[in-house]
Amino acid sequence: MASSSRTQVIALYRMLIKESSKFPSYNFRTYAIRRIKDGFRENKHVDNPKSMDELLTRARESLALIKRQVSVGQMYSSQRTIVEGFGAR
Amino acid sequence: MASRVLAQCVRTLARSSARLSGGNLAVRAVAAPVSASHRSFSVISNAERRRVLEQSRVSVVSVWCRQYGDLPPLTLETIRDRVMYVLKLYDKVNPEKLQTTSHFMKDLGLDSLDQVEIIMAMEDEFGE
Repeated sequence: MASSSRTQVIALYRMLIKESSKFPSYNFRTYAIRRIKDGFRENKHVDNPKSMDELLTRARESLALIKRQVSVGQMYSSQRTIVEGFGAR
Repeated sequence: MASRVLAQCVRTLARSSARLSGGNLAVRAVAAPVSASHRSFSVISNAERRRVLEQSRVSVVSVWCRQYGDLPPLTLETIRDRVMYVLKLYDKVNPEKLQTTSHFMKDLGLDSLDQVEIIMAMEDEFGE
């Protein structure tokens, strides 16, 4: 990889949050964004390159999973819940 | 999450109220003179509505311009106000310490993950 791991982490964080905000279901969307934020923040101080690689591959797999689930959810979406209000994406 | 939803609600409300404020004033103004006089409905309502709309437009936006349902014009002050508004809504930012010259990392104590979130909030605010 040409980019340093720091920019990779930031790019993965951004892509994960962007894909998670496309979930049509309120519960999946809020859980995914919250879990992504907490997960990245609690592993912020990790220095060991091997564990960083592990975490990055886990993040990439989660990104693929989120993309698949977003498409499935958009195919079979149900009614908007009352808490979402207007303008929810 | 809540801050983003709140920002979206405020933005849609601001946009719709900018368009409705002219219409509401016109409806109220039309209702009063129609009851007083017996002239034809359409003539008085059009004249009153146009006059009231022009007046309300001048008071709402101080620039004399026609608004065809577009977003408000982008000036430096509006941009600055919107940026500060988005930053104040972010829960990790202390609104008292926030100024236009404050540095994210040094003054406000945010890290790069917060920076990503703030930039995404700005993209939501300014673009579609």
